[in-house]
Amino acid sequence: MNEINIQELKGQAKGLLLILLVIVGVVTAMGSFYTVGPDEQAVIIRLGRYLETNGSGLHFKLPLGLDKLYIVKTERVLQQEFGFRTEVSSYRGRTRYAANQFDDESLMLSGDLNVADVEWVVHYRIAGPFRYLFKTKEQEKNIRDVSESIMRRVVGDRSVTEVLTTGRVEIENEAKALIQEVLDRYEMGVLVGTVALQDVNPPDSVKASFNEVNEAKQEQEKLINQAERQYNTVIPEAKGKAQRKISEAEGYANALTNRAVGDAEKFQALLLEYRKAPVITKKRLYLETMEALFKRFKDVTIVDAQVKGLLPVFTKGGGASL
Amino acid sequence: MKGMMLVGALAVAAFVTFFSSFFVIREGQQAIITQFGLPVGTPYTRAGPYFKTPFIQEVRYVDKRILSWDGYPNQIPTKDKKYISVDTTARWKVVDALAFIKSVKSEFGAKSKLDAILDASTRNVISNHNLVEAVRNTNKIIDQFKAKQKEIKEKIAQGEDVIDEEVTGEIERIEVGREKLSELIAQSARKELIKFGIELIDVQLRRISYEKSVESKVYERMISERQRIAQKIRSIGQGEKEKIEGRISKDLKKIESEAYRKAQKIRGIGEARAFAIYARSLGQDQRFYEFLRSMEAYKNALGEEAKLLLSSDSEFLKFLK
Repeated sequence: MNEINIQELKGQAKGLLLILLVIVGVVTAMGSFYTVGPDEQAVIIRLGRYLETNGSGLHFKLPLGLDKLYIVKTERVLQQEFGFRTEVSSYRGRTRYAANQFDDESLMLSGDLNVADVEWVVHYRIAGPFRYLFKTKEQEKNIRDVSESIMRRVVGDRSVTEVLTTGRVEIENEAKALIQEVLDRYEMGVLVGTVALQDVNPPDSVKASFNEVNEAKQEQEKLINQAERQYNTVIPEAKGKAQRKISEAEGYANALTNRAVGDAEKFQALLLEYRKAPVITKKRLYLETMEALFKRFKDVTIVDAQVKGLLPVFTKGGGASL
Repeated sequence: MKGMMLVGALAVAAFVTFFSSFFVIREGQQAIITQFGLPVGTPYTRAGPYFKTPFIQEVRYVDKRILSWDGYPNQIPTKDKKYISVDTTARWKVVDALAFIKSVKSEFGAKSKLDAILDASTRNVISNHNLVEAVRNTNKIIDQFKAKQKEIKEKIAQGEDVIDEEVTGEIERIEVGREKLSELIAQSARKELIKFGIELIDVQLRRISYEKSVESKVYERMISERQRIAQKIRSIGQGEKEKIEGRISKDLKKIESEAYRKAQKIRGIGEARAFAIYARSLGQDQRFYEFLRSMEAYKNALGEEAKLLLSSDSEFLKFLK
């Protein structure tokens, strides 16, 4: 009896062993190769020691935990936000959180010892995966600490007006260079992309007075424009009037001259005629005038010197009176 | 049977012994071997597989990576009595694991040493310098300020009204600067920390801000400054407007009076010319002209309502007699 059992056990054990070996074989096989995507790099650590870094493709490694595989996305652009946060929520898209929650991050001193509220973003890539993984302990914290420190250093060298208005690009460039310098010193294996300033404002409680300055500037411009416009309406109008006055005077002068010339010419003609036959001409003109007058008058009285008293011989108006 | 069990036992023993003597140092780690609790030998700094004496010797791992330390934000008065909150952070690493283990035993132990030493060093350096030294790094803001002042002076000389939007007198020269200050803090701490096998890489002044009560005063200053500038802008605007209005009335008067003058002159010339023409032509026979003109005058002037009294001796009625 026992012998049969032992034989059975041996058989079962052998079978189990076989299955185990197959499983181990498969696991080993699967653990001896790996693929790396086009935006990735793989770091292989063999028995604790760094072996190699590999790019995209199919590669082999020792299985069973002898080789450890770390895959890093080296093409992905990562970002750190300062002074504000955005969240991407699946149904609402990006929402931006109130920046005054992050005043500690965003308020900083400018070179003229004023305060500015600066929000910015740092973009970076992991360019050296081995260094990123093994040279420093808190990678993101390093990036954040250095960014904050550097941004304050850069802003601290400038006046608040510069920070708010004209110096933005300079600040971004200087910050990027300095952050890279320090992260390289820590051997982070990080490549800094753009440093982009977002909202840069005076602190909330001071904002109103900064706006006041802008408003005052606009008011000033408006006043000046109004005055200029008034000038540009009144003066041309006056010039026009002035021109008209002069033209009128010229017209008057011309008319006067022309009339004089006309009168002179008429007189000249008559004079010529008169000189040819003076007595006749004079008489003719006289009679013509009288004729015209007589036609016109309603009340003509002819007085005879020899008749005493007023005896009109002829009245035009009808009815003689004695 | 017994044979198999013996083999099994030996195998297990071999296994256990092996795993008690084989150890791996991963990248970013270093290790010290301790025997009966006491460190022996030199630290292993290179990553890889190693062997040690089984059972009696232990491996103590120490982080080889660059570690960070955060200071608790401190209220520190500067040399010029400004109360500021200084938030520092530092980077350090263990360069001598043996000294490290012997002195502070662990990262946790190291933290309290770092706290004490860096806090003292920070306080010391900050309180020995003015606030500007911790804020600015260069004097370039002064150069820019000077350049701007020069520009403004030139514009004023040319008659333009410019507002000086820049500020106050807070622009003092710095001797040291923010970076050097950080380096000073690190320097004095470094000497102490190396005794514990710690290399201090750098200290960063992560944040410097006004203490709350000081902050509100600063804001008040900023506000009143801006208000002053706004007022100045407004009054300049008013002044400009009045200048232009003055120009309007002046130019207006000039145009009108000149036009009047010119017009009168033209009229005068015209009249003179007309007179000359009349004089020249009518002057040829004054009496004839008198006669002619009178005839015309009678024709034009005497209306129908006039009463005409004619003597029968009149020339006109000569032929009626």
